[in-house]
Amino acid sequence: MTTTPAPYRDIVPKRRVERLLPPEGVPINFYIASVGARLGAQIMDVLITYIGVLLVAFGLFWLDVLPMTATFSLIIILFFLVRIPYYILAELVWNGRTLGKRIARIRVISADGRRLTPHQITARNLMKEVEFFTPVLMLFTVDDLGLALGLITTVWVLGVLIVPFTNRRRQRLGDLVAGTIVVENPKTVLLGDLVAKAPARDTRFEFLPVHLDVYGRYELQTLEAILRDPTKGPAGEVELARVTDAIIRKIAYAPKVAPNDRRDFLMAFYRAQREHLENRRLFGDRREDKFHKTGDAPAVVGKKRWWRRR
Amino acid sequence: MTAQSPDQLRSARFRMEREPSWKRLEVLVARADKAGVKSLSYDEARDLATTYRQAMNSLSVARDISLDLALVTYLEQLCSRAYLVVYAPQESIRGLVSRLLTTGIPRAVRRSALPLLIGFVAMFLGAVAGYLLYFQDPSWYFTFVPPDTADGRTPAASADYLRSTLYGDEGAPHDALGAFASYLFSHNTQIAILVFALGIFLSVPSFLLTFYNGLLIGAFFATFAEKGLAYDLFAWLSIHGVTELSAICIACAGGARLGLALLLPGQMTRRDALRHHGRDAVKLIVLAGIMLVVAALIEGFLRQIVQSPELRLTIGWGIGAAWLAWLLLSGRDKGAGLR
Repeated sequence: MTTTPAPYRDIVPKRRVERLLPPEGVPINFYIASVGARLGAQIMDVLITYIGVLLVAFGLFWLDVLPMTATFSLIIILFFLVRIPYYILAELVWNGRTLGKRIARIRVISADGRRLTPHQITARNLMKEVEFFTPVLMLFTVDDLGLALGLITTVWVLGVLIVPFTNRRRQRLGDLVAGTIVVENPKTVLLGDLVAKAPARDTRFEFLPVHLDVYGRYELQTLEAILRDPTKGPAGEVELARVTDAIIRKIAYAPKVAPNDRRDFLMAFYRAQREHLENRRLFGDRREDKFHKTGDAPAVVGKKRWWRRR
Repeated sequence: MTAQSPDQLRSARFRMEREPSWKRLEVLVARADKAGVKSLSYDEARDLATTYRQAMNSLSVARDISLDLALVTYLEQLCSRAYLVVYAPQESIRGLVSRLLTTGIPRAVRRSALPLLIGFVAMFLGAVAGYLLYFQDPSWYFTFVPPDTADGRTPAASADYLRSTLYGDEGAPHDALGAFASYLFSHNTQIAILVFALGIFLSVPSFLLTFYNGLLIGAFFATFAEKGLAYDLFAWLSIHGVTELSAICIACAGGARLGLALLLPGQMTRRDALRHHGRDAVKLIVLAGIMLVVAALIEGFLRQIVQSPELRLTIGWGIGAAWLAWLLLSGRDKGAGLR
């Protein structure tokens, strides 16, 4: 549906987000698969299918159960089947995934938020013929083609390669015809709640509202990331000290924090800050980051380039 | 986990209450993802639907009340996964095929008059040009027809030799015909797919490729016509060519539809037009594929068995009439007019 990226800075690494609106009315996010992953999946598919056919061919010749001509016609049919029909069938049966896509952990979804239709799968894979198979085969024979045809082939290959880079959702020609996008296969990992581990309020540290009015969501979640995945070893101690000092300075926290208590202090601050911000949210005050007071926030950091304007 | 101290954060309590239902969904989704929704029992399928809706609801709430990034990320991913399972295609292949054959393809064909005209005109013009050029200068033949296709059937060949290629065994023993048919099928289908897919480049390459196919036929026809074998060749070509050449023209029409969508998108954006016309275009190429299977079967098995030109003509054009009847008459029920 709408393709606007999340209107705030993201803690997770920058990836292209596609926001779909399923019939339930709750938008969900998918991450657009990188062109590299897709190319990898395609190469993997070609290798798997052709090696498969060659193995079957060797097996048939070795077993020698069929007459020669039957073997030949079977192999010809197989070589045909692993081009377009394989992709169509695989994506139909596995709901938008071929073997290569499974390995690369990507999948095809319908861009309109509804289920993937057989029509879409057929359309996007038929276009593969002009986008991949024919140009690649022609590149192998480029020596015999002569200047004009060689030039046309090169322009063709380049033209087709450029298409995914000209749109935000990285759609190739087949995707454009079918209205599909290729996304990363979501995987679910539920990390424990930092707060649940230490349910009781740590009484050693007392935070006043004035302390908690400084930061917003972005800083809180950055702190969460640091607490969840601290750097190991002595470098971690340095990081902890730096973060603690920065927070103490910024929020003007008066009491001294002993070096051994830094982690506890950060946990306590995280808890208090989260409670505060979540309460503010209930009153409709969504503080995105530390610029929430002045309002001159760099709310959207994603660069908009002229060739991607839509 | 039920230690709900009043001291606990609201969002942490929210998570504790709902977590079992998410975990249940996660298990179900993993199962369905691996072995398909069919592997779930009735109760599990019902649970899948319920817990999916609950998770969606949780996600919506969590986005509002929780600042625990791990939780929101988890719910986002869980909901995306569950969404993909719940909204997986559920049509059976059989129902799909029968719908395509009874209504989908015939209607798509009837909606594509202009592209079909382009496809057939491309082939026809090519044939006429090839025929006329040949009579101007027979050496054109070598320009159009690749040597391995010509197979000795060149302008220099004697009438007797040419006749033998039409009525003889073509040097192919009968048990080799199966391999020949499968070769033809995969070769022709590859060409048809290429003709179709090239249409995206503003339909010009599709037109040219079909035109070239026409040139080939025209020059080929002229070679035989020069030796007084026009009628025999026509019969020889008809038995499978009516189906096979039509299939190429239809593939070209499919390509032309894509190209026309880009050239003349009308009120739609080009992207939308492409998607809209893509629906019928894909059906056209599926039709071409079906016709090529039939053509390969006829060519591999029937053509050399049936030796009389009259019978060849009857079979070829009879099958052509059958195609036409199917495409024009099928799928005309009450709903058709409303589309």
